[in-house]
Amino acid sequence: MNVTEQDFIALLPLLILAATAIAVMLGVAVRRSHALSASIAFAGLVISFGSIWIAAPELPRQVTPLLILDRYALFYIALLTVSSMVFILLAHGYFEKSDDDHDEMYILMLVATLGGAVLVSSSHFASLFLGLELLSVALYGMIAYPRRRPLPLEAGIKYLVLAAVSAAFLLFGMALVYGAFGTMRFDEIAAQLSRPGFDRWLVLPGMALIITGFGFKLALAPFHIWTPDVYEGAPAPVTAYVATVSKGAMFALLLRYFYKTGGHQQAPLFVVFSVIAIASMFAGNILALLQDNVKRILAYSSIAHLGYLLVAFQASGDLAPMAVGFYLVSYFVTTLGAFGIVAVLSDGGRDADLLDDYRGLFWRRPVVAAVFTAMLFSLAGIPVTVGFVGKFYLVAAGASAGLWSLVVILVVTSGIGLFYYLRIVVAIYSEASQAKAGPVIGAPAVAALIFLTAALVYLGLFPQPLLALIRGLTFG
Amino acid sequence: MFPIREGFMISGALFTLGVIGVLARRNLLFVLMSIEVMLNAAGMAFVVAGARWRQPDGQVMFLFILAMAAAEVSVGLALVLELYHQFKTLDTDAISRMRG
Repeated sequence: MNVTEQDFIALLPLLILAATAIAVMLGVAVRRSHALSASIAFAGLVISFGSIWIAAPELPRQVTPLLILDRYALFYIALLTVSSMVFILLAHGYFEKSDDDHDEMYILMLVATLGGAVLVSSSHFASLFLGLELLSVALYGMIAYPRRRPLPLEAGIKYLVLAAVSAAFLLFGMALVYGAFGTMRFDEIAAQLSRPGFDRWLVLPGMALIITGFGFKLALAPFHIWTPDVYEGAPAPVTAYVATVSKGAMFALLLRYFYKTGGHQQAPLFVVFSVIAIASMFAGNILALLQDNVKRILAYSSIAHLGYLLVAFQASGDLAPMAVGFYLVSYFVTTLGAFGIVAVLSDGGRDADLLDDYRGLFWRRPVVAAVFTAMLFSLAGIPVTVGFVGKFYLVAAGASAGLWSLVVILVVTSGIGLFYYLRIVVAIYSEASQAKAGPVIGAPAVAALIFLTAALVYLGLFPQPLLALIRGLTFG
Repeated sequence: MFPIREGFMISGALFTLGVIGVLARRNLLFVLMSIEVMLNAAGMAFVVAGARWRQPDGQVMFLFILAMAAAEVSVGLALVLELYHQFKTLDTDAISRMRG
């Protein structure tokens, strides 16, 4: 199959990401400079983001059987690149505090973002697998990056075992589905699934294994066991990256794969997904109550948020992709913001992740405390924030499909969730026990936090433009 | 005629052995080896599936898996070396400090 000029134009965002990774690598070979590497990576992401508008007229375009570039893919590529820019702004200040070489972090991050971009535009098992591995293998390095500290190292090896096992499950499931249908393209699998008389003894175990693989990667209950450890041990900006870019790309792919194949509406799989959603909402919210570590609280809260997303995913219908898209944006903004606060308050030695680190924060740093409060309120889904609008549409999507039990559980567990968010908020506004001012926050991180706070409030008050944009997303 | 059902059964058995290894082994090196067994079982299943449809795709996927497993193991061994440096052991229980 020939790749034409138009195909290359449609692929521009991905090609630029790959080229930037090489550019940073060459830059490191010439001169090691933290600021330079971060700048090149940032510029590359901006160009890649800009090239989306060049690629847009070519849509939708199937580039070889492997990749499909449609509005849906480009929207998520835009989301991933913007999040990666925020990551750079946060990571620069964070890693500047420790003296070591930091340049490779940006190379790994660009490769991981490329993997995410491949994931959201894949239409074939092979590209799914390649995108996933680009993302995962780069993430092992990012998580274990401060390798002299024991916790990141432990988190890195745990993530490696977890991700490799999940990849193996996914691959075995893919092999079974391929064995049953003789094709690895999503649309052809969809066509075969709609016809009766396929080999059930291969397809159902295959789908179950694929769901297990997805479950590990998305840290859904009951596959969430090590996630809090990884979140706690990884450096704070990387935790933000794992929680947003890696999970977001995976969820966008899940939506595309199951929407194309319609597999999740098959009776047994529908039950499995419902059980996973319910378990995630309960496990995430209840276990978060027991934690004293802010990173762990946020880790469990992200498990719960993925459970909420599954409710809309289950709903299917026209409202579902819109609800999922909007909720993912809101989840990205607030999660990056919350872990961003942890990152800016950390010093070179350890992360500011204990609840005690935040006691009396308001009296020491009123602005930072206010931003953190806003992020937590948005995660809890309190009005005026983007999190509220997102949750509203999840409930609307679930209700319009008549999934009342799931919707009720969503609302009840969100209520439980309020407790642990408020625990952090109470700590922030309680009387200060220590008069430590904490580290200075650099200009890039300030810019990132201002951007995230503005997005949080703006999208909370005026969600319409983004909703209209997401409504226009179509699978090619 | 290629024995499809038997092929999938053997790769399923291999895969199960790998899963048991990951769960039961306490030494990190053996955990990595068990993961390798799981990946190769998936690769074998792909080859069997490819043989069923007389397509090269299954073997192409096996090559992908081979390359990815090599990348994964190289990063994994680098981390294991650094871990051994710090902890002087590869026992997963001794290394695991965070409750999980």
